[in-house]
Amino acid sequence: MARKMLIDGKLGNPNGEEIHYDFDLFVIGAGSGGVRASRFSAQYGAKVGICELPFHPISSEVIGGVGGTCVIRGCVPKKILVYGASFGPELQDARSYGWELNERIDFDWKKLLQKKTEEIVRLTGIYKRLLANAGVKLFEGEGRVVGPNEVEVVQLDGTKISYSAKNILIATGSRAQRVAIPGQELAITSDEALSLEELPKRAVVFGAGYIAVEFASIWRGMGATVDLFFRKELPLRGFDDEMRAVVARNLEGRGIKLHPTTNLTELVRTENGIKVCTDHGEELMADVVLFATGRAPNTKRLNLEAVGVELDKIGAVKVDEYSRTNLPTVWAIGDVTNRMNLTPVALMEGSCFAKTVFGGEPTKPDHTNVPCAVFCIPPLSVVGLSEEQAIEQANGDILVFTSTFNAMKNTISGRQEKTFMKLVVDAETDKVLGASMCGPDAPEIMQGIAIALKCGATKAQFDSTVGIHPSAAEEFVTMRSITRRIAAGKPKTNL
Amino acid sequence: MAASLGNSSPTLQILCKKCKFPINPFFSFSHYNKSHNLDSFSSFSHPLTRSYCRRSTIRADSTNAVEPPRKYDFDLFTIGAGSGGVRASRFAANLGASVAICELPFATVSSDSTGGVGGTCVLRGCVPKKLLVYASKYSHEFEESCGFGWKYAAEPEHDWSTLIANKNAEIQRLTGIYKSTLKNAGVELIGGRGKIVDPHTVDVDGKLYSAKNILISVGGRPFIPDIPGSEYVIDSDAALDLPSKPKKIAIVGGGYIAVEFAGIFNGLKSDVHVFIRQKTVLRGFDEEIRDFVGEQMLLRGIEIHTEQSPQAIIKSSDGSLSLKTNKGTIDGFSHIMFATGRKPNTKNLGLESVGVKLKENGAIEVDEYSQTSVPSIWAVGDVTDRINLTPVALMEGGALAKTLFANKPTKPEYRAVPSAVFSQPPIGQVGLTEEQAIKEYGDVDVYTANFRPLKATLSGLPDRIFMKLIACAKTDKVLGLHICGEDSPEIMQGFAVAVKAGLTKADFDATVGIHPTAAEELVTMRTPTRKLRRTPSEGKTDSEFKAAAGV
Repeated sequence: MARKMLIDGKLGNPNGEEIHYDFDLFVIGAGSGGVRASRFSAQYGAKVGICELPFHPISSEVIGGVGGTCVIRGCVPKKILVYGASFGPELQDARSYGWELNERIDFDWKKLLQKKTEEIVRLTGIYKRLLANAGVKLFEGEGRVVGPNEVEVVQLDGTKISYSAKNILIATGSRAQRVAIPGQELAITSDEALSLEELPKRAVVFGAGYIAVEFASIWRGMGATVDLFFRKELPLRGFDDEMRAVVARNLEGRGIKLHPTTNLTELVRTENGIKVCTDHGEELMADVVLFATGRAPNTKRLNLEAVGVELDKIGAVKVDEYSRTNLPTVWAIGDVTNRMNLTPVALMEGSCFAKTVFGGEPTKPDHTNVPCAVFCIPPLSVVGLSEEQAIEQANGDILVFTSTFNAMKNTISGRQEKTFMKLVVDAETDKVLGASMCGPDAPEIMQGIAIALKCGATKAQFDSTVGIHPSAAEEFVTMRSITRRIAAGKPKTNL
Repeated sequence: MAASLGNSSPTLQILCKKCKFPINPFFSFSHYNKSHNLDSFSSFSHPLTRSYCRRSTIRADSTNAVEPPRKYDFDLFTIGAGSGGVRASRFAANLGASVAICELPFATVSSDSTGGVGGTCVLRGCVPKKLLVYASKYSHEFEESCGFGWKYAAEPEHDWSTLIANKNAEIQRLTGIYKSTLKNAGVELIGGRGKIVDPHTVDVDGKLYSAKNILISVGGRPFIPDIPGSEYVIDSDAALDLPSKPKKIAIVGGGYIAVEFAGIFNGLKSDVHVFIRQKTVLRGFDEEIRDFVGEQMLLRGIEIHTEQSPQAIIKSSDGSLSLKTNKGTIDGFSHIMFATGRKPNTKNLGLESVGVKLKENGAIEVDEYSQTSVPSIWAVGDVTDRINLTPVALMEGGALAKTLFANKPTKPEYRAVPSAVFSQPPIGQVGLTEEQAIKEYGDVDVYTANFRPLKATLSGLPDRIFMKLIACAKTDKVLGLHICGEDSPEIMQGFAVAVKAGLTKADFDATVGIHPTAAEELVTMRTPTRKLRRTPSEGKTDSEFKAAAGV
């Protein structure tokens, strides 16, 4: 059915009366997904317009910037800070390798911040150029859907311009949310955390997701004391339980204080900083309190309900497998659809959209075996199923292979931190269902493993691959002994 | 007792088969140190497995019509306890064989009379080399860190003796671990120099041992050509254990050992000069990778003297060394290192006398099952000069144990063996080079990426990453992958699984990237850099094409 609609769409009105639109496609939001979809659509020959809010490192209802979360307030600046923070422990390790370092090593936060901002400004410029080169018309302003084929852009000076479009794509992403507790206005979100004036000496992070553990690692690496509060027993809900425990142990090992099963109840401004109160009756002082308690899709000011686009409970745009909303001319991709909120997934959704709508080749994004990484220090990276998911989904037995080892670098540095790896295998088919690793370089290591999983590689195929010695990654092809076998239907005890 | 189980009931046989890969919760976690490549499977030996396998050995004996069953001291006697020898011995023992292994006394520098359990990899190769690479990389990290806001009151200085002491403590620890692994597997370790007396007898320092099978895994040693002044030259063994850090070092050779040591000494702030016979380093590697790594080495301050052959080394009265080449003489070296190849350790092993055939370069000739021209004598690892890598020796050792003691003739598989060069920046590769791919397949699509990684944009250093993917134009199969840049060896391993599994470019493209990583580039290469075709009508008529057309 989808195909038929598409063909109809392509041929235009069957009566032969071509309806004229200003654009074949108008995209609201020039982040990863929107830019990708626009460029690829333009390359298929479509006439494309895209609108985006003005640039600023910290987003709001009326602030954004070409490049979106990933480039301006997410992946890129975050990774830059992770790099910066990683040098702290690296310098400690260097001493055992014979390096004589002065006791006084300073870290200049302002310098890093300035360089980070320069870099994201450079990148937003590159994105703009990419759009221009692809022939996509960029409008600065706030876009709203005013009809199934009409978009209104409110420009900076307040003037409104309407454009008609055969297809509208919503790619407005999401924004960090705050928890409604007294004093919440004293807290910051990840946007501000990436642009703080001063490096905090005492940081409190509330949340257990990847953003929380990443910022905890960043500040700790830069020398701050960090307290991480979260509601569950372990951070990183949704990830493999054993990996979560490993991450928790490593965070503690690096000097972050974990406060599991704890909620923040109130923030109070004092002379000495922000007083943080918990539901356990604890009180501590902080220079910065980060709320990393989730993100919400940016759908509020898009006028979607008025034109009849369905949203889900949390406000995400509901789409079908082709990223189409309930209105046939309106589509949505990326975080605003809250499927799998990752840049490369938004890119995939954007490419599939362009192929489907303008490439004459209906293409569904495939959300299985999508690898991802958490850039805590040391990082975590996974692809495929967690052990718990595998047990739940499998018909037969599951074999779990694990490897815990002291990274070679640690043998001399003396750092007490084990790298942990895991393969989850279907006992009957020998297919590797999931791979995870927590340790240095995990995200780089996981990418190739992800191809193998995506293509249904078996454990035997892993084993037949010769190792690269000496590397950490070689452990993935030399896991000979089964750590445990979990019989079908037998739930594993929760950690 | 084992023999009495020889005619065991079918039930027991089935039981034993089922137990082949025993699951034991106490051995589930491999809590060992990363740097030595052991695994826990082998340290576990189930009594039933043991008897089952022993039985099959006996049966193999009785089917041998030519030779009447004979009692030997050991089922397997291994000469040389390096990566291959230890692996073969342990696995053989785990399969029920009685195994002995002999090894020379430990020393950091190898000779005819010194060696040590663990072999080249652990004592004089992969492990100490990588530790020195770690140490030397810090200077680059200090530079990088400045771009990220870190400031040093004083320039970091390096103390060579701390590093070497810590390195030596580590390899001592590892050789100890190897010994206990052998012991735990029930392998008898005999100290001394092994020599083959006859097809079933090994002499270790005057004591004779009989064995049904003899395995030679004595590895290789650095080779220095005999030129005037060669007595002043150090090899890689010595370079890993110098009493002091070189001030100015000449490294002669362009292979992986030469470029790795160039990186090490450069990182530790020595003045490094590399002398190579060719125009670029790393003969045999992908041409573009060779060019790229050469450029990156130059950028880090290594001087590469091309098309120069060493002719003599002259020691001057102040103790400094001069290197004379076909192009001139350079003075003032504190050290001259030759990384001019390695030779198999086949001298004085008694091989000629029992009729074990050697290749011209002295390597032992073996068939696909690692069997020499004498049926009871086998050889694995560098001494056979196939692919001289630790994991390959492990594979050969593992396969041999299966062939001999598991009734499962197993050939080691040499297709798509990945490898790394720990130069700075390092290289990771798997499969064919572009040149090989063109030769073998004719029509290939080459995808390349050459970019400045995120870290370098902030650090301001001229570091780049180069990546190349070669796909077969006809089948879309990925034939080769080559990366030079930070983390390349770690990145390559997973991709090696994909290449080994015969996956296609489309499979790569279907995989979602991990953002932001360097590795994601390899799954987002959309447009071929060049399409090389045998038939002129289909392809570009550029220089690469002409090279291909000659095939």
